[in-house]
Amino acid sequence: MALIEVRDLDKHFPVRGGFLNRVVGHVHAVNQVSFDIKRGEILGVVGESGCGKSTLGKTMIRLLEPTRGSMRYEGQDITELSHAELMPFRRKAQIIFQDPYSSLNPRQTVREIIGEAVRFHRIVPRDQEEGYIIDLIQKVGLRADAREKFPHEFSGGQRQRIGIARALSVKPDFIVADEPVSALDVSIQAQVLNLLMDLKDEFGLTLMFISHDLKVIEHFCDRVLVMYLGHVVEEMNCIDLQDSASHPYTQALLGANPINDPSDRRPLTVLEGDVPSPFDMPPGCPFAGRCPHQIELVPMRADAHIGIAPLDAGPSIQAIRRFLGQCMQEMPPLETYVEGHRVACYAVDAEAVGAAASR
Amino acid sequence: MIKKFLRSRGLRKLLSNRLAIAALGVIGLYTGIGFAVFLGAITEKDTEARVWTDSYPGYPHHQTAEKRLDNCEVILSRVMRVLETEGELSEVAFAERSVSDASIEELTQKVQAGLALYEEIADTVGSLNDNPEVLPRIEQLEGFVDDVYTPLTGWSSLVYDFRLFFGTDRQGRSILIRGIYSIKVAIQVGVVVALIAVLFGSVLGAAAAFFGGWVDHLVIWLYSTFSSIPHLVLLTLLAFMFLGHPLETTLIPLYVAFCLTFWIGPCRVIRGEALKIKELEYVQAATAVGFGRFTILWKHILPNTSHLMFINFSLLFIGAIKSEVILTFLGLGIKDGASWGIMISQSQAEVLNGFFWQIGVATALMVGLVLAFNILTDALQDAFDPKHV
Amino acid sequence: MWAYIFRRLIYNVPVFLGILLFVFAALRVNDPVWMYLGKGATQEQYETKKKEFGLDRSYPVQYFELLGDVVTLNFDQKSWGQEGLTVGELLGSSIKPSLAITVPALFLTSIISICVGLISSFFRGGKVDKTLVILAVLGMSISFLVYIILGQYFGAYKILKETGASPFAISGYEPGIGNWAHYCLLPVMISVIVAMGYDTRFYRAVMVEETTRDYIVTAQAKGASRRKILFVHMLKNAMIPIITRIMITLPFLIAGSILLEMYFTIPGMGRTLITAINDKDFPVIQVFTAMFAALFILSNILTDVLYALVDPRVRLS
Repeated sequence: MALIEVRDLDKHFPVRGGFLNRVVGHVHAVNQVSFDIKRGEILGVVGESGCGKSTLGKTMIRLLEPTRGSMRYEGQDITELSHAELMPFRRKAQIIFQDPYSSLNPRQTVREIIGEAVRFHRIVPRDQEEGYIIDLIQKVGLRADAREKFPHEFSGGQRQRIGIARALSVKPDFIVADEPVSALDVSIQAQVLNLLMDLKDEFGLTLMFISHDLKVIEHFCDRVLVMYLGHVVEEMNCIDLQDSASHPYTQALLGANPINDPSDRRPLTVLEGDVPSPFDMPPGCPFAGRCPHQIELVPMRADAHIGIAPLDAGPSIQAIRRFLGQCMQEMPPLETYVEGHRVACYAVDAEAVGAAASR
Repeated sequence: MIKKFLRSRGLRKLLSNRLAIAALGVIGLYTGIGFAVFLGAITEKDTEARVWTDSYPGYPHHQTAEKRLDNCEVILSRVMRVLETEGELSEVAFAERSVSDASIEELTQKVQAGLALYEEIADTVGSLNDNPEVLPRIEQLEGFVDDVYTPLTGWSSLVYDFRLFFGTDRQGRSILIRGIYSIKVAIQVGVVVALIAVLFGSVLGAAAAFFGGWVDHLVIWLYSTFSSIPHLVLLTLLAFMFLGHPLETTLIPLYVAFCLTFWIGPCRVIRGEALKIKELEYVQAATAVGFGRFTILWKHILPNTSHLMFINFSLLFIGAIKSEVILTFLGLGIKDGASWGIMISQSQAEVLNGFFWQIGVATALMVGLVLAFNILTDALQDAFDPKHV
Repeated sequence: MWAYIFRRLIYNVPVFLGILLFVFAALRVNDPVWMYLGKGATQEQYETKKKEFGLDRSYPVQYFELLGDVVTLNFDQKSWGQEGLTVGELLGSSIKPSLAITVPALFLTSIISICVGLISSFFRGGKVDKTLVILAVLGMSISFLVYIILGQYFGAYKILKETGASPFAISGYEPGIGNWAHYCLLPVMISVIVAMGYDTRFYRAVMVEETTRDYIVTAQAKGASRRKILFVHMLKNAMIPIITRIMITLPFLIAGSILLEMYFTIPGMGRTLITAINDKDFPVIQVFTAMFAALFILSNILTDVLYALVDPRVRLS
C-alpha cells in the first residue's frame, strides 16, 4: 500500500465580483489530480509558476481544503476529518515553505519556533526538550547558540535550515517541500539540497519535492509529476526523463535547459502561443494553445509529416485523427503506456513510448 | 516576553533617538508625580482648600494698588464676620496661615483698626494705581492683615510659598496644587481609557481579520456605525444616557464614553495588519503543526501587531487627555476635584479680566505631557513601524 | 466602477440603520417624557404627554416611523424645546451657518497646509523645516479650547479694550456676505490653526516621500528649475493622497465646528443639536443625529470612491 493516495483532487478558488460580490467564476488551481506516493520515495512536482504545484502540496496536507476528491494517508481517508481527528496526521505530515523571509515568526526565537511543535505534540519529555532541540539545530547545520536568536539575525539559507528543523521536529514520516531552494542563491541551493538528502536518509522520510527547475528534480527525485495549469500531464521515473519524456510540455521543459555538451547543437525549444487562464478554463487540453504539435498541425493538416517523440517515428492514422479534433475539445486522459509512466496527450504513440523505454 | 522586547531591533532604534529619550524622561517625571499624588501627596481636599484671596497672581505676585486694597478688605471683613458671629476661626484660615492665638478682644481690635485704615485709604480721591503716595499706607494695611494671622516660619513658610507660587483662581485655590493634582487625573484617565480601548479594539480587529466571515462583517458594521456619529455627539449622547444613574458622579460614564469612541482606531489598524499577517507562511506553518485557530490568533497574530498597539496606546492617551478637557468644558466630564479641563473652563472668565495664570499653568502642564507623548509616538512609529500603516 | 459604488451604498445601509437604532435606544434609556417634564410632573401629565408624542406605542413601531421619516426626508415633527418650530425649520435655518464656518475652513486649511507642507518638505532638514515641524507638534499639543479662549480674548476682547472697535464678534451670527467676516472669520481662523498642526505634518510626509522618487531626480538632472519641480512635478503627483486626505478630514471638520458653534454662539447644526440634548428635545436629537450620520456616511463613501478611482486594486477587492 502506498503511503499516500490522492484521487481526483480538485482545488478551485471562487472569484467574486459584480454587483453583490457574487461568485462569478473559479480559479481552477488543481484539476483531477491522482497519484500515489510510496513510502521512502521522493516525488518531484514540476511546472511553471502558477501551475498549481504549491496549491497541490498545501491541499494534500489539508492546509487548504480540497474542493473535490480524496486523499488517503496510510490507508486512512483524511479528506473529511475534523480538526481534532486530524491531529495524528498533522504530526506525521509536515511542510517546508518556499519563502525563508515569511515562513518564520519574526517575534519568536529559533528555540520557540522549533520548540512549540515539540511541546504541542509532546515529542519528548519536558526535561529533554532542550537537548532535543539543540540536537536538531546542529543536525541542520547550525550552531547550538542559534536557538536564542531571532530569524532576522540569519541569512536566507540559514532560515531555510530552521524551517527544515521545524518540519523535522515532530518526527514526521512525510514532508512536502514547497520549492525550498527557489529563493536561495545557487551556491546555497546545493548545500540545502544535500542537507535534505542526508536528512531524508537518516530519518527515513518520504518527500514531495516541488520545484520549477527540472534539473534539480532530475538530480534529486525518484519520480516526477509534471503539471500544467493544474493538470498532471506526465508522471514518470526521473532516470528516464532524458530518454522517454513523451509529453510535449515535458520535452519543452527539458529542451529549454542548455545542454552541457558543446557538440550537441540542438536548438532550444521555444513555446509559442497563448497560455489559457486558470480562471474558467476552456475545455480540452490546457496545453493545446502552445503545443508544438498543434501549431504545426493546424495549418498543415493530415498530409504533413508530423514529428512525435521520438522525433523520427512515423505517425499512425489513429494518432492523426485524435490530434485534429480532440485536443481542443476534450482533456486527454492520463494513460499508462509503460509501468510507472503515465502521459496525458493524444499525440503520444504507445509504440513509440514503449520503444523508447526499452532502449 | 519583556526580555524579547528588550532585544528587539526597534527598541535599539528608539533608544538611539535622543529626543525620544528626553520625551520618555518627561513622561517618567509626570508619572512619578502622578503616582505620588495617587499615594496621597496631594488630596482632593487640598485642591479645594482656600489658600488666599481670589485671582491672586503668581510669582512675583505683582498686583495693582487697588487690588491689594481690595484683598485686605476682603480678608479683614471675613475675619470680622467670624468674630462677630462667634464662629470657628479655622474657617478663615488659609492653609498653613491660621489666625493667631491672640484673644478674641485683641483680634477684634486689630481687625477694626485695619478696616478703619481701609476706609481712610478708600476715600482717597482719584485712581489709586497711579498714586505712589498711597503705597506706604497700603503696606501698613497689609501689616495689619499679617498681624491677624500667625507668621509662618521654616518649613510651613516654604510650603505656603509653594502653594502661592502660581497664584490662586477665583475661589482662592492654589493653582499649582490643582495643576499637579490634575496630572494624576489626566494620567489616570489616559491610561485607563487607552489601555481598555487598545486591548478591546485590537483583539476585536485581529479576530475580525483572522476569522473573517460574519465576525468580520459584524465588527466592521460596529465600527462603521460608531465612527459615523461625530465624536462629540456620541459622547454627549452617552453622557445623556447616564443621567440620573447612580454611577453618574463617578468617572465611569467618562470611561465608558471614551472607550466606546476610541476603540475604533486601534481596531481598524490592527485589523488591517492582521489581514496581511494571516497570509504569511508562518501562520500556515502553525496550522500545519496542528494549532487551533484561537491559539494561532493569540500566539502568532497578536504579538506581531504589538508594535502597532503601543503606537495606538500613545495616540489614544493624548486623545483621552484632550477630549477630557473638551468634555469637561461642555459640562459632561469631570465634575469634582481638579483636572486640566476644569481649570481651563474655569479660566475663561478670568482671562477676560486679563488673568492668565490658571490657563497658563494648566496649558503648560498639559502641553508638557502631550508634547512628550507626541514626540514619543513619532519616535515609536519611526522605530517600529517605518511604513506608517 | 458603478458596481463598486453600489456595493458601498448597500454596505452602508445596515450601518445607517445601526446608528438610528443606537440613537433610538440611547434616548429611551431614561424615559424622555420624564426628562422633559421634570420631576414635578404628575402621573396624569406624564400619560397625556406620552400619548401626545406618540411614545406610548411599541418600540418597533416608533423605530420604523423614525426610519420612515428620515428616509422620506419628512421633517414635520414639532420641536419640544423651541416652541412652534418644526424640526425641518430648525434644520433648514441651521445649515447655512454651519456651512459658513465649515466650507471656508476646509478651503483655507487645505491651501495653507499644502503650501506649508510643500515649503517644509522642500527645505527638508533645514532651519525652516525644523521650525515648522516644531511649531506643528507644539500646536497639536495645545487644547482646542485654549485656542478658542485665547482667540476670543485676543481676537475680540483685547482689541475692543484697546481700540474700542470690535471687528470680530465672540457671539452671535447674521447671514450675509458682509457680515461674514465679523462673525465667522475668527472661528474659521481658529479652526485653521488647530487643523494645521496635523495637516502640515501629513502633507510634509507625503511630499517628502515624493522627493525620493526617481522622476524628481530625473527632473533635476534635466535642469528644471526648483520652482518647476516643486509646483509642477511634485504637487501633481502628491495630489492623490492629498485629495483623499482632504476628503477624510471632512467629517472631522463637521464635528469640530460643533465646538466653535457652541462657544461663538453660532446657531449651526452642531449647536442646535447640543442645545437639544441639553433641553432633552427628543425629535430634534433624533433627526439631527440621523442627518449628521448620513453626512458622515456619504463623505466616507465619497472617500472610498475616490480611493477606488485612484487605486484599481481597491475596486477589485
